[in-house]
Formats: sequence, structure tokens, C-alpha cells
Amino acid sequence: MIARPEAKDRVCRVVARESLGGPYALLTFEHEEVSRAEAGQFAMIQPASDGELILRRPFSIMDTDPDAGRFTIFLKAIGPGSRAVFDLREGEQARVLGPLGHGFATPQRDERLFLVGGGYGVAPFALFSTALRASSAPFHLFYGGRSASELPLVAELEARGIPMTLSTDDGTRGEAGRVTAPLLAALDRAEPGRARICACGPEAMMHAVSKIAAERGIACEVSLDPWMGCGLGTCLGCVVKIQDPGEPKPKNRPACTDGPVFDATRVVWPHGDHR
Amino acid sequence: MTATPTLSVEIGALKLKNPFMAASGTCGYGVEIAHAVDLSTIGAIVTKGLYMAARDGCEVPRIAETPSGLLNAIGLQGVGIRAFVEKVLPELRTHDTAVIVNVCGESVEEYAEVSRIASEAEGVHALEVNISCPNVKTGGIAFGTDPKMTHEVVSAVRRASRLPVIPKLSPNVTDITVFARACEEAGADAISCVNTFLGLAIDIETRKPKLAFGTGGLSGPAIRPLAVRMTWQAARAVKIPIIGIGGIANASDALEFFIAGARAVQVGTMNFSRPNVYTEIEAGVREYMTRHGLESLDALTGSLKFPR
Repeated sequence: MIARPEAKDRVCRVVARESLGGPYALLTFEHEEVSRAEAGQFAMIQPASDGELILRRPFSIMDTDPDAGRFTIFLKAIGPGSRAVFDLREGEQARVLGPLGHGFATPQRDERLFLVGGGYGVAPFALFSTALRASSAPFHLFYGGRSASELPLVAELEARGIPMTLSTDDGTRGEAGRVTAPLLAALDRAEPGRARICACGPEAMMHAVSKIAAERGIACEVSLDPWMGCGLGTCLGCVVKIQDPGEPKPKNRPACTDGPVFDATRVVWPHGDHR
Repeated sequence: MTATPTLSVEIGALKLKNPFMAASGTCGYGVEIAHAVDLSTIGAIVTKGLYMAARDGCEVPRIAETPSGLLNAIGLQGVGIRAFVEKVLPELRTHDTAVIVNVCGESVEEYAEVSRIASEAEGVHALEVNISCPNVKTGGIAFGTDPKMTHEVVSAVRRASRLPVIPKLSPNVTDITVFARACEEAGADAISCVNTFLGLAIDIETRKPKLAFGTGGLSGPAIRPLAVRMTWQAARAVKIPIIGIGGIANASDALEFFIAGARAVQVGTMNFSRPNVYTEIEAGVREYMTRHGLESLDALTGSLKFPR
């Protein structure tokens, strides 16, 4: 077992950038500690040049190359903070703090995994597939979005040979409808045995998936994505309501340090209208 | 040739190896950031505000970024003073930094009781009295916007503790010198100047505030000139030392506060994005002192050449 690296704050270089069309891109950075991140962990990133923005933004680690000391994020430019990172060009510098948070539980050999990625929330499953292959645990990815243009990572995931089912709300790619429909069908077909659902995406999707898991008595992990200020557990901006066994009522816990991946049975939905 | 500049400062009986502190609410209880930050580079850690009981704080969203600023309404989520003393302090005091407990209360009696417990604990070096949090429904800013209540709370803490007492002033007042004087008369050893400015950010699509609490406290570089001005006003009004706070992101920002009259400074919002900024600030201030032939910061504090 390799010890998990402690978070390190580094100014590091963008070594590669690939546009995936529209607001989507892949960015690769040199950062030794983050290059050893586990699936579901994240890094806080901002351009190294000073600007009007203060806070870094959290980005899930999509891929790592520990030998080269590099990691890659898959990002969607949404607001000014993610846009500033999106606009970084090869050779430019960024401040990167990571790896941070707790990722998905280590896969067990006898486990069957159902991965559910909504929109840009699919990112950690690329990295997770590497660990799943190593453990020989069978897995399948359900990747959904509103339309074909919101599934920009399909080619990247196909190149890795990840078994997956695509769906779009408008039917422009894969099955028409919510990602939960093919998930339910697959659960109905699945052989009995130990199973786990891992979900990352919009809150409504994760909530729906966690209900499905609860109804069927299947273990479920969700990667929550509230507004984060620091990633260190000090600003307390990203708290989520977590009900722990034995506690009289739910408590506000920072998603950055207690999560972002939580056992879905502990999560009290909804968390408000964060995105 | 001048000697190597010294950065050690004295705030009453509080001796700090450097005048750069981490502001309350921006560094947790110190131990959370110890894996990413060398705490020995920080003169003092000011803890997240502590009441008697644990508190769960406000609903989310709690933070919103604004131009060069951060609007927050966290609502003083915390573990409570006893849990801090028993579970957190033993680890925190192993680090080479001073510990200042930020004292909160919903009543004068609670402020006094939290202060007494903090003072009896091993490894607490001073008390910062939070009379200025804008994000709680009772207490907080209510004590810091009425000079009589400010005097009453600070007097009560003064009686409850032998540690240096440092009220943290609210900027949400017409004349901060009135409150600075009230603190000095009540026996304060120094003044932290200032807490966040009451603000409001609106989501124009939903027409709701961006924060669940409604209003919030504004911090960051956006408030720096306001805080420098208030530090300057407070420093001229009282004899006790002023600790300047407000949007400090680098050495030149810190130097502005010293020149305005601060004996020490606190870094707040920048802890979230630049947790290791202290080494840069210290290096920059040392370079400035050497360039200006200053052996200690005393010669700089309050040296503003203001037009007559």
C-alpha cells in the first residue's frame, strides 16, 4: 500500500492543453504529489498571475501519470474562476494545491461497480477505471448529459476501453432520457452479489441515484460538489449536511476535507442550490 | 551598516516572533492547515470564534466571490471552547506559533465564561474578543456597534482573564474611534481593526441574495483602503497597540497598515487561496526594512506623513 501523499501547494506548469470543444478542455500539470492522487480526490487551482479573483477553484483529478509527475483535469468553464483556468495555455503557470479530500473507496475483487457520471462529473471515473482494472472488479460506466455536446469526454473514455452506456436528455447521443434509466435496467439484469454505485454529477442526479441504491440495498458513494473556498477545511463554505450513526441530528461538515466522496446513506439531501 | 532587522513585536504582554498573524475564521484552529502550511512562519494563530457550545453555523451558500473580495456568512460554526481546549489545543500548542482564542458569546456572561476557560488552559497566549461578527442573529456585531455594550463586554473579559485582551472591532460604525476608546477605557491591551464590512450580493435571476443568510461580511483586497483608514483613525485615538486587518495579500499591503499605525497585522481571506503567503510577506517586509535602514518595526508604526 502506497502512503497517500500529503497536499502540497506548488506553482506548476501547464504541460499540455487539449480543447474538447465549447467550454470543455483537458489540462495537464506537473505536480508530483497530485500525480499520485486517488480517484475522487481534487486539487485547488488558479492561474499564478495575480488577478481580481481571489479564490482557487476545485477540480477533480481525471488522470494521473505518477512516473512523469503529471496529472490531468477535465474541466468545463462555467464562471470566471473556472474560465481563468480554462484560459491557461501550455507553458503558463498555475498555483496548484493538492491532492485534497477523500476519494472513492478502494475496489474489492468481488465487487461489481456501477459508475454514474453526469456532465463534467464523469471526470474521476477515468482515473477510477485504472484502479478498477488493477483490482479485477467488473465495472460499467453510465455517462449522461443534456445533449451530445455535453458528453465531450466520450472519445477519451472509449480510448481507455471503458465499458459504458451513453444517454442524453434530448436523445442526440446514446439512449434518450435520464442516466438513471439505463442504470436501472443494468441493475435489473445484474447477477446477484456484492455491488456498489459510485455517482458524480449534478446534485439532482446523485440524489436520484442514491434513492435507487437505497431501494435496492446497494452500497452507494456520491461525490459532492458544493461551492468551495479553500479546500483545506478552514473557510467552511462548502459544508454539507451529514447524518452520522449515533448522532442525534445531521451536522454541517466541510465537503473538501470530510468528502468530497461520501457514503450516500450519510447525506441529507438537498444541500441547497449550490452547483 | 544597519543590523539585521528584527520582526519581533510586543502587543502588551504578548510577545510575537513576527507581527504576521492568521485572522480568525480563516485558518480554522491552525491544526487543519498544518499539513499544508508551516505554522512556525506565522506569528500567531487566531482561532475560529468559540462560544461555550458547539455551533452548526448558517445554511449554504455561505460564500460568494465579489470583485477582489469575498462575501461570507458562515455563522461561527465551531466546536465550542471546552472541546477546543480538550481536543484541539494539545496538538496546536506543539506548533511554534502563539495561540490567540477568538472569544464569542450571546451574553456578557458567556463572553466572560469562555474567556475564563480559555485563560485557564495551557498554551493560550491572548484573547481576541469577537464583538463584530455580522453573521449571527444574537451577540456578535450587536456588542460592537454600541459603545456602552462594547465597554461592558470588554470589561467583563478583562475581569475574567489575566491574558492580553484584544477586542476585534466592527467597521460597520460611523466613528470607529468611539469604539477604540471604549475598549481602551475597559482595559483592553490592544485592538484588532477591523472585522468584515456588512455586504449584500444578489442573484439577479432569482432575485435572492447569493448567501443563504441574506447579508454577509465582505473581506479581501476590496476592503483594504477602508481598513487602512480605520487603522489610522483608531491608532490616533488610543495609546494601546492596533492590529491591522483587511485584505492583506503581500508585504506592501502589510507595510501600509504599519505606516498607518498598526503594531502587527492579520492576514485573513488570503489564507484561503495563498496559505503559504507568510514567507513572502516576511521576506518582503525584511527587504523593505533593510532598504530603509529600519532595525525594528517600531520606527515604522504610525509614521504616516499625512498632508496637513
